[in-house]
Amino acid sequence: MSGFIRKRLIDDNAALVQLLGLCPLLAVSNSVVNALGLAIATVFTLTLTNALVALIKPLLSKEIRISLFVLIIASVVTALEMFMNAYFHELYLVLGIFIPLIVTNCIIMARAEAFASKNSLWLSIKDGFFTGLGFALVLITIGAIREILGNGSLFNQAHLLFGDLGHSLHVKLFDNYQGFLIAILPPGAFFVLAVLVAIKNKISKN
Amino acid sequence: MNRFIKIPLVLAIVTFLTSALLMVSEDLTHEKIAEQKKMLLLQSLKQLIPAELHDNDLIADAQTIHHPELLGHRKPQTLYIGKINNKISVLAIPATTPKGYSGDIDIMVGIKTNGEITVVKILEQHETPGLGDLIIANKSDWIQQFSNQSLHLTNLKNWKVERDGGVFDQISGATISPRAVTEAIKQTLLYHNGFMQNIGEET
Repeated sequence: MSGFIRKRLIDDNAALVQLLGLCPLLAVSNSVVNALGLAIATVFTLTLTNALVALIKPLLSKEIRISLFVLIIASVVTALEMFMNAYFHELYLVLGIFIPLIVTNCIIMARAEAFASKNSLWLSIKDGFFTGLGFALVLITIGAIREILGNGSLFNQAHLLFGDLGHSLHVKLFDNYQGFLIAILPPGAFFVLAVLVAIKNKISKN
Repeated sequence: MNRFIKIPLVLAIVTFLTSALLMVSEDLTHEKIAEQKKMLLLQSLKQLIPAELHDNDLIADAQTIHHPELLGHRKPQTLYIGKINNKISVLAIPATTPKGYSGDIDIMVGIKTNGEITVVKILEQHETPGLGDLIIANKSDWIQQFSNQSLHLTNLKNWKVERDGGVFDQISGATISPRAVTEAIKQTLLYHNGFMQNIGEET
């Protein structure tokens, strides 16, 4: 793995190290399918906004760059919201307010300001994709752990994302599992994130 | 270029481009979105008003009602009416109860002309996962006990959960959510009675 990718996926991971974008990370990670839906949306947004910011780089000036970032990010997310509403309607209903709230995910603004506004188009696309992927992997991992602990299942309601194919993806891991309720409730998200951050720190130290 | 010209100009260009992006996306998706919404609505109506019990266009014949006292509505809601040969066969009545454990519970109850319930659907709820949310059909079969029930089978006085001296099962560990839903269903049955009487008087 090249240093560029490794930095974005692991060493400087947006969720585990920079602890950015925690609101969606904690709120929609109660099942794998929800997490996956938001993860894909975030990677897509981040890649596209980074590309657009890199494209208008010659137009940026100190006074208005933030307004331009906000304009671009908000439009991309709104367009994405419309497409999700049209083609993944049920998932859109489940994710609800967290799709428009991608606008406020500070990772996106941070990458536009710190990277895309200073680098070439291709590098910015790569940066957006891998930073987003790093965030997405953490989101999906938390979703998987919480769903297994809380429901004893994986890929519950996968048909929201994959259509009829999704029904066969649903795995019930334990029969008659009563569910560890706190894992699906909001505090569970903090506990799982804390454990992941601790593991990451332990590994980095060695 | 003078920056007093450049800055507004850049803002204008980017605003124009992003607006264009939004217009194109809106244009590409709005038909599909309307279609998806209609499909989802018809899908849930199919259980409330089974196909064999109506031959009319449910969406065209729907009415807007607003009954804050009886049905707990916070804003005007849609009442769906199934008809056979222009005679009412089933009503799908929306109701809201504020007595849930965390906020409102929105339900929809299908009731045949003879007062028998087809299905009760929970449209929106925020009850505790694993406890109160067992009222939803795909989490437990609690809600199914109301299908085929009517005020003829169970009178008003007994239309309560067992804990309150009624006949309906409750959910262990969660009293509040089942109680709220059971009461809301009773209200829709009362509304249904009134509705059918009005129709009787008109004809």
